[in-house]
Amino acid sequence: MSVKITDYNSPNTPTWCPGCGNYAIHASLKKTLSELNISPSELFMSFDIGCNGNGADMINTYAFKGLHGRSIPLAVGAHLANRRMTTIADIGDGGCFHEGLDHLVHAIRSNYNITILIHNNANFALTTGQATVSTPKRKPMYGLPEGIPERNLDVPEFILSLDPSFYARAYSGNLIQMGEIFKSAIENKGCSVVEILQLCPSYNKEFTPQWANENIKEIKEVENYNADSLENARDIVVNNSPLYTGIIYRNKNLPTFYDSLDSRKNSLTELVDEVKVHDIKKLLKYFE
Amino acid sequence: MQTQRVSVKFTGASGEGINTIGVLLLRALKKHGLRVFGYREYPSLIKGGVASYQVDFSSKELNSSSRYCNILLAFTSRSLNEYLKDVKENGIIVYDQKDINLTEEQRLYIEKRNISSVFLDSESIALETGGIKIMSNVVMLGFLWRILGLKVETLIEVVLKHFKNKNVDLKAEENCIRAGYTSATFRPEYAKKINTPQKEILSNNNGYVMTGNNAIALGAISAGVRAYYAYPMTPATSIFEYMGENAKETGILVKQAENEITAVQMAMGSMYMGTRALVATSGGGFDLMSETISCAGMSETPLVVILSQRGGASTGLPTWTGASDLNLALKAGHGEFPRAVIATSDAQTAYTLIQKALNIAETYQLPVILLMEKQISESVFNFKKMPRVEKIERGLVEKAEDITQRYQITDTGISPRWIPSKEKKPYLANSDEHSENGSSIEDSEGTIAMANKRLRKLETLAKDLPEPTLYGDRNPDLVFVGWGSVKNAVLDAISSFTKINEIDKNNKINKNNGKVGYLHYEYIHPLKTKILEQLIEQNKRLVLVENNQTGQLGNYIKENIGYEFNEKLLKYDGRPFFVEDILDFLKN
Ligand SMILES: Cc1ncc(C[n+]2csc(CCOP(=O)(O)OP(=O)(O)O)c2C)c(N)n1
Ligand code: SF4
Ligand SMILES: [Mg+2]
Repeated sequence: MSVKITDYNSPNTPTWCPGCGNYAIHASLKKTLSELNISPSELFMSFDIGCNGNGADMINTYAFKGLHGRSIPLAVGAHLANRRMTTIADIGDGGCFHEGLDHLVHAIRSNYNITILIHNNANFALTTGQATVSTPKRKPMYGLPEGIPERNLDVPEFILSLDPSFYARAYSGNLIQMGEIFKSAIENKGCSVVEILQLCPSYNKEFTPQWANENIKEIKEVENYNADSLENARDIVVNNSPLYTGIIYRNKNLPTFYDSLDSRKNSLTELVDEVKVHDIKKLLKYFE
Repeated sequence: MQTQRVSVKFTGASGEGINTIGVLLLRALKKHGLRVFGYREYPSLIKGGVASYQVDFSSKELNSSSRYCNILLAFTSRSLNEYLKDVKENGIIVYDQKDINLTEEQRLYIEKRNISSVFLDSESIALETGGIKIMSNVVMLGFLWRILGLKVETLIEVVLKHFKNKNVDLKAEENCIRAGYTSATFRPEYAKKINTPQKEILSNNNGYVMTGNNAIALGAISAGVRAYYAYPMTPATSIFEYMGENAKETGILVKQAENEITAVQMAMGSMYMGTRALVATSGGGFDLMSETISCAGMSETPLVVILSQRGGASTGLPTWTGASDLNLALKAGHGEFPRAVIATSDAQTAYTLIQKALNIAETYQLPVILLMEKQISESVFNFKKMPRVEKIERGLVEKAEDITQRYQITDTGISPRWIPSKEKKPYLANSDEHSENGSSIEDSEGTIAMANKRLRKLETLAKDLPEPTLYGDRNPDLVFVGWGSVKNAVLDAISSFTKINEIDKNNKINKNNGKVGYLHYEYIHPLKTKILEQLIEQNKRLVLVENNQTGQLGNYIKENIGYEFNEKLLKYDGRPFFVEDILDFLKN
């Protein structure tokens, strides 16, 4: 039986602002999942706390809305327990680059086979518009009328410095490309990081669809762009005008964490299949 | 006759194999049919401090240390100075450094107490025997074995087994033990001083020796734990070591996480998905986990966290013991949600209670905090039989295909839980307040209904849990009340105290203290108070014993039933209760 996009519909009414990029992200994700024929019962999504995390109520699937900044390790724990489930960690720029930055670094480094969707709306939205590492310097924000005094974090350069298995940048206003990116990210065997430049008309008013049309270009417009080359990828993200979206970089040679574990080399089952009384007679010998 | 306990202490520079030699002695004594208990003291640094390993042994079961030792074997002058005052009257000191010069005061001290002070040139003996410098350790061990008057073959067998796969010259090792054993430094009067207990008649089975951390790892493996998420913190770290070293054999996924928040989040994710996962840490690491404990409580995700306590607040006494994190276990995490707090006391209970903890976490869908202490985690316990394997209870609904109400309101408070799979309906586990199907809510009625449902689980659990155990005299005059490792010193004291009472009719022992009992709390939250209230009603003299400064269990009992302990025996210097701590209390 093929999976329909409506299978993913939840009975709850969305609570996002009009024009919020989260609508498009969810629509595009659901469409992709149905096209990949992944049913709601074959998917696990962990949600962060934030406007992005409010999406937990908007999709019918195995999901866990946990703690702020922690959706990545929660997803990793679920993924390691049962790799038959496609696993997605959903998170905002506040949760990802502030509260739980350590988890992003280690997830990329460990290369778990999961997909991380970062809703980058350049602010802490649910707490009504504080600055994040992506908020332009000197832009007045909540509690900081002069804006942030310190530097930004260059997200693409930072992620590329970790040599990820997969890094793509999407724009929430470009549904078709976003869907294609999601598809590649989910299909990639390894830690796929997708940074979504997300419209937030309430707290990031400068970032409008008009601005996006003028300043964002698809990477396929770059002639001979080779996403397998880290050098190419670095070159393309250094210069931020225009901003390129698409698959920026992939490293197909990285083994996943699980596949690198000696203790799990020959096992045909998943951890969830193995909960039973295990005989410890052999181990006890040492203590006799 | 009084139960004979002999205590032997090795001491030297930390990082110089004191632990290994202690464990070898312990294993050899056990092999000989004696009951043993091993206790470590060491500083929180890798090289240069003073470490000690004390082995207490007897013909009868024992689970605690004496504060004093009959024989002190010192490998450095600094360690000799540190522990000299711990040597009993008529005891023996063996040291192997030529440069050890006792002060006049120390000489007098030794003389007054009739302590024999023996220099054994173990290094020269090791080198002359064809060994290397480090083998002076086993020369000392051989010499000790002679004082104890035991057959050298048993010791050799144990030592060689230990070094078998370790790239060590086994022949030289054996020769060094024999050289120590037959050394001309030995005098028969040394042996006379130490009345080595007669072994019990034992079959081939001399039981097991293992640390509490070994036991808890074994219990977890047995109970089907399939993922272990670690971040090092003494005294929990050696659970990680054991899990890692046996991962190929057990197939358990062992992951060293980037911090404790990660470790516990991963564990919660794995438990949600339907396997059994485990994390263990100490106070500071547990602090970092507390937000997740609250999340597990709210989302009703099973979770077990082992909290092995050490001494003091903050970094405190990192390698010393204590039991001052009961408050933390009881209150950690914001908001109100049900949890269970269980405390181990030795290796056997660690083995059993980890299995129970996993069953409780899954059946009642809540976080369980399993308390240990450095004294339990790192001491070596000796017992005859492994406790039985507990049946795995998961509380999963059988036919889940059509169920969608993950948080269904029920009388017991327990809602249907199922393992996520392709065949079943998906659901949202939610840290936000939620409706029966998991959707976020904020309305008053729904909030109250769900909060009440969650707390009802605690009542259900309380009904299913046992009362604390009353040990010792059936009709006691005095009852100690405690939890954790204090049980071991109290029970060892009670058994030797009763004997002392019998033989020593006209000593100073207060008559009222004649019959002693001990009420031990294993399941601390939810608190069971029936037996305690009976004792209070019968006007028994109740004495609270805790390895902390404020009497946290006592305070928790007061919070629950209003009873205030008049007498408290509290210890918070990083040391465990020694038998003498209890005996001295009884004698005064
Ligand atoms: C530990 C913790 N700290 C702070 C908060 C408050 N909080 C809720 S959402 C949020 C920020 C969300 O920002 P972001 O992750 O960018 O998500 P967005 O709302 O922008 O989608 C914060 C700080 C919290 N829930 N938990
Ligand atoms: S505040 Fe911004 S991110 Fe949040 S719902 Fe509104 S538009 Fe979306
Ligand atoms: Mg944001």
